[in-house]
Amino acid sequence: MKRIMIDEKKCDGCKNCSAACMQAHRKEPGTIYDLDLTDPANESRNFILKDSQGNYKPLFCRHCDDPECVKSCMSGALLKDPESGHVFYDETRCGSCFMCVMNCPFGVLKPDTVTQSKVIKCDFCVNAGGEPSCVSSCPKKAICVEEV
Amino acid sequence: MKYVIIGAGVAGTEAAKTIRNQDPDGQILMISRDTYVHSRCMLHKFISGERDEKGLDFTEKDFFERYGVTWLKGVEVESICPQEKEILLSNKEKVSYDRLLIAAGADSFIPPVGELRKASNVYGLRNLSDAQAIVKEAKDARHVLVIGSGLVGLDAAYGLLELGKKLTVVEMADRILPVQLDAHAAGEYQKRFEEAGVRFVLERKASGALCEEDGRIHKVTLDNGEEIPCDLIVVAAGVRPVLACLEGSGIVCDRGITVDSHMKTSQPDIFAAGDITGRSGIWPNAADQGRVAGRNMCGLDCEYTDTYAIKNTINFFGLVTLCVGRILEDEGDVVRIREDKKQYKRIILKDGKVEGILFQGNIANAGIWQYLIKNRIDVSGIQKDIFDVSFADFYGVGERGKYEWVTK
Amino acid sequence: MNQCYGCSTCKSADKPLEGYIAGLPMETSHHRVEGQSTKCAFGLQGVCCRLCSNGPCRITPEAPRGICGANADTIVARNFLRAVASGSGCYIHVVENTALNVRNTARTKGEIKGVNTLNRLASIFGIQEEDVHKRAEAVADAVLKDLYLPEYEKMELTKKLAYGPRYERWEQLGLLPGGAKSEVFHGVVKCSTNLNSDPVNMLLDCLKLGISTGIYGLVLTNLLNDVVLGEPEIRMAPVGLRVIDPDYINIMITGHQHSMFTFLQNRLTDEDVKEKAKKAGAKGFKLVGCTCVGQDLQLRGAHYTEIFDGHAGNNYTSEAILATGGIDAVISEFNCTLPGIEPICDQLKIKQICIDNVAKKANAELKEFDFENRPAVTEEIIDEVIEAYRARRGSVKMNLFADHGNDNTLTGVSEVSLKNFLGGTWQPLIDLIVSGDIKGVAGVVGCSNLTAGGHDVLTVDLVKELIARDIIVLTAGCSSGGIENCGLMTPEAAKYAGPKLRAVCEKLGIPPVLNFGPCLAIGRLEIVATELAEALHVDLPQLPLVLSAAQWLEEQALADGCYGLALGLPLHLGLPPFVTGSKAAVQVLTEDMKTLTGGQVIINGDARASADILEKIILEKRQGLQI
Repeated sequence: MKRIMIDEKKCDGCKNCSAACMQAHRKEPGTIYDLDLTDPANESRNFILKDSQGNYKPLFCRHCDDPECVKSCMSGALLKDPESGHVFYDETRCGSCFMCVMNCPFGVLKPDTVTQSKVIKCDFCVNAGGEPSCVSSCPKKAICVEEV
Repeated sequence: MKYVIIGAGVAGTEAAKTIRNQDPDGQILMISRDTYVHSRCMLHKFISGERDEKGLDFTEKDFFERYGVTWLKGVEVESICPQEKEILLSNKEKVSYDRLLIAAGADSFIPPVGELRKASNVYGLRNLSDAQAIVKEAKDARHVLVIGSGLVGLDAAYGLLELGKKLTVVEMADRILPVQLDAHAAGEYQKRFEEAGVRFVLERKASGALCEEDGRIHKVTLDNGEEIPCDLIVVAAGVRPVLACLEGSGIVCDRGITVDSHMKTSQPDIFAAGDITGRSGIWPNAADQGRVAGRNMCGLDCEYTDTYAIKNTINFFGLVTLCVGRILEDEGDVVRIREDKKQYKRIILKDGKVEGILFQGNIANAGIWQYLIKNRIDVSGIQKDIFDVSFADFYGVGERGKYEWVTK
Repeated sequence: MNQCYGCSTCKSADKPLEGYIAGLPMETSHHRVEGQSTKCAFGLQGVCCRLCSNGPCRITPEAPRGICGANADTIVARNFLRAVASGSGCYIHVVENTALNVRNTARTKGEIKGVNTLNRLASIFGIQEEDVHKRAEAVADAVLKDLYLPEYEKMELTKKLAYGPRYERWEQLGLLPGGAKSEVFHGVVKCSTNLNSDPVNMLLDCLKLGISTGIYGLVLTNLLNDVVLGEPEIRMAPVGLRVIDPDYINIMITGHQHSMFTFLQNRLTDEDVKEKAKKAGAKGFKLVGCTCVGQDLQLRGAHYTEIFDGHAGNNYTSEAILATGGIDAVISEFNCTLPGIEPICDQLKIKQICIDNVAKKANAELKEFDFENRPAVTEEIIDEVIEAYRARRGSVKMNLFADHGNDNTLTGVSEVSLKNFLGGTWQPLIDLIVSGDIKGVAGVVGCSNLTAGGHDVLTVDLVKELIARDIIVLTAGCSSGGIENCGLMTPEAAKYAGPKLRAVCEKLGIPPVLNFGPCLAIGRLEIVATELAEALHVDLPQLPLVLSAAQWLEEQALADGCYGLALGLPLHLGLPPFVTGSKAAVQVLTEDMKTLTGGQVIINGDARASADILEKIILEKRQGLQI
């Protein structure tokens, strides 16, 4: 499967990956210029965390080999695709229980901010050709896609 | 090899998947009372009318075909004979097995109060059949009484609110959701339910409930003498494993079927998983037990180790809560609270370790807390406000880009 | 493996140039586009604020305000005002130096080459001086006096130079500028930390800066330059890398202040200097035009045929010009002198001299232009250039590109030369517009950047789209440099025009794109527009006239753009000016501006779609005029 590999030492916290993620998942089409950066409905699926020394630690869904989120899903909304190995989320099936949020050991998942009814989850930009937008937006090449 | 699985809940379906992945040629037979595979966590969505029976299915599309599982539905198991490796069904058929998994789940517990157990308008809410009956009964009911304000009781209330019923919820404790929440967090839900029209009667028990001539209970008397009129009663006082079919089987039971860490029962080639074991009552653990059982049924050596189950999520009225670990404060605890108009977060710390968390309103990225709690990780050295602790503080990237927890 | 520096250069509208740059053994801007292709989304939208130590603050859905409380509207407007104030400052610096040079020339009884322009200015200013030098001095003084006024005193020449209906509208809106330098000061104060937070208030200031920039920095700079350097005359000239003649000692000039070269230009053709060149082994000296000052020289090329052969290229062609090896020195006085030329100059032993310290390049020698001591400084420069010539010729490999460009680009177009060409009246042009033979007029101005499709790509594509729709194109700025090298300013380019415009061009023997020269000449376009409006008795926003700074690059372009908006003209930009993070700014610039000044910003990076929009506006304006 393909995974977004991370070299956290290269991350300089610009959050371009987050903006690119918001852009990739916005409802209405448009360019990065008109992405509404004040609309809470535009949410990033990745996060730039900081440790107590101020080092940036990029948090990106691993599409785990043994995904805790899938194992905790009581509606069948989260499934690991046997072909690509990626964990996909079907919001129409989601029961909004958020046990996946509870069970992700790395804290990648969150409920959507506006309705608190959907899970914000990386889809590997499968609708945009499967080339994750975050990766192509990283100026430091701190993230890249590799076959693992 | 013939595998028989009793029960079509998550423990059963996960076991079936696991077995199929290990043994492409084995025969898998699933037997269940349930006629629909359904997620018990979504029954309130059925009551409210938001989803139909099929909408409760949690399995992949064409699950039975995909995994080559034969499903005998609407059938109960009457008895199990480990010596003959055979089970007897309610339709008097006999089914043999090489490996048997008992994952028949649990039923609602109706306490022996008055004639609750006898009346025709009293239901638990555990299976789809319960929800179907409640919906049917609710058609003509105006006033519904819910006994118990745990997750199931409130699920029932939440679903019934959508149907426009007048609801009263009776709770023994001094707050709703007493197992999961502290008074403050419980109050937030209570307020929302009350605004939606629900009446709560706290610190009260039902003490009298007699059937009238029609075989139904029309009022319930509380321990303070108050009488609550009702057309329909939903009892949410816990569940009991479905153990009836085990009689004479020699399978050792305690609160449920006794199993070892391999999910093996006292009888050879018989395994058990899920609620019937009386272990933990939550979905992810039942699923895990099913997978462990499945692997062992295929001859692999696999242990159920991630037994941690003191964890819950709650979502009513779009207010989301996550609670993991201990909720009540003990002597020597450090309790930290962060609260604003959008969230209430409470963390119990002891000796530098997180004992329990309760996050309400904002559970974003909160998955790390379960890990911290169940692995008893010392967080005292982190130069951060405890609420700001994140995976960044344990960040490691290992082989094939997998995240690893780095703890000292 | 070959000797190319890198094979990932950006596209150019000028395909031969694209190939030439791709084959170069040294790095250019064109090579660096790919490495900078990941753009910060917050920067692109203008919602990154570094105005205080709490920052940088960036606007996200979780953090809709900076720490101080500034929202996206405030952050964007502050950043934009800061850019416009800077851009205005640049142009005001240019006009100030130009006016000082005119005054010094007048005081020293130097040559007044453009008496007609001087008289025109004196007449507009109401100056009656018999003596030509006193007249020139008074004109320069009047400009300088306004520039130095405080912010609270309105400049006097604004009313004299602006079109009446426009002036009235500006007065109503409170947009009349005080002293132009003080307005820049006012602007940078206003957008500093925790001062103004009102986006509309700041955007109105941008318009005010646009007016002072336009009337002083643009219109007057052109005319003052004409006074001392001569007036443009329409003629044909060569353009492109072909203009570099290796038999000469070649000096590439970059910048915006033509008047600073007056003395040097003349001196280089003096016999004794030519003799020096010959002694060094060259036939003499040549100035090679690059960037806007090169366009200025080309515009007035009729007066400088000996020293100047033609314009080689615009801002992002400058590295290629140097890479030919045929250039011996770069003399720069302003932007757009790319920092990227420095390593190339080092590598090819090209002497770099700066004559204005605002544009001091890191590895250049600073020889500040000093009017009093200019003979001595000029001699020093000449000697150093000859020394560089001697040191490098023979040891530096030539990589000339003699086929590049063309020999017959129409140049020397100005508000005066064009009117004279038409017979001393705008009526023929008006008749063609009324008849629909010319659907409308588009001013395609500004710079080249490398990101709107590549070098000159959007500009050239847009121009082709516009002329194909019978819209005549007038250009000013680095856009001219790209368009001319692509051949669109040759009479033969008429074939790219729509049938009606083509017929007009073929009849008159002109190209469908008329080159007014440097970006400063946006001021000349404004004069043309004003005179057309006057003739039609309408205000500027009513004209079937649109502006496009398709490949605007820098802060100066934004100040120019604000002038266009103040004039009430539709202004197309290929890339947004870092404002789209603010709904208020976008609303004001693209919509509310229509009721404020009559102008509007149109942002579109696609040539055809942009042309569709601009054509639609032109058709609407025609309808408004009932033509």
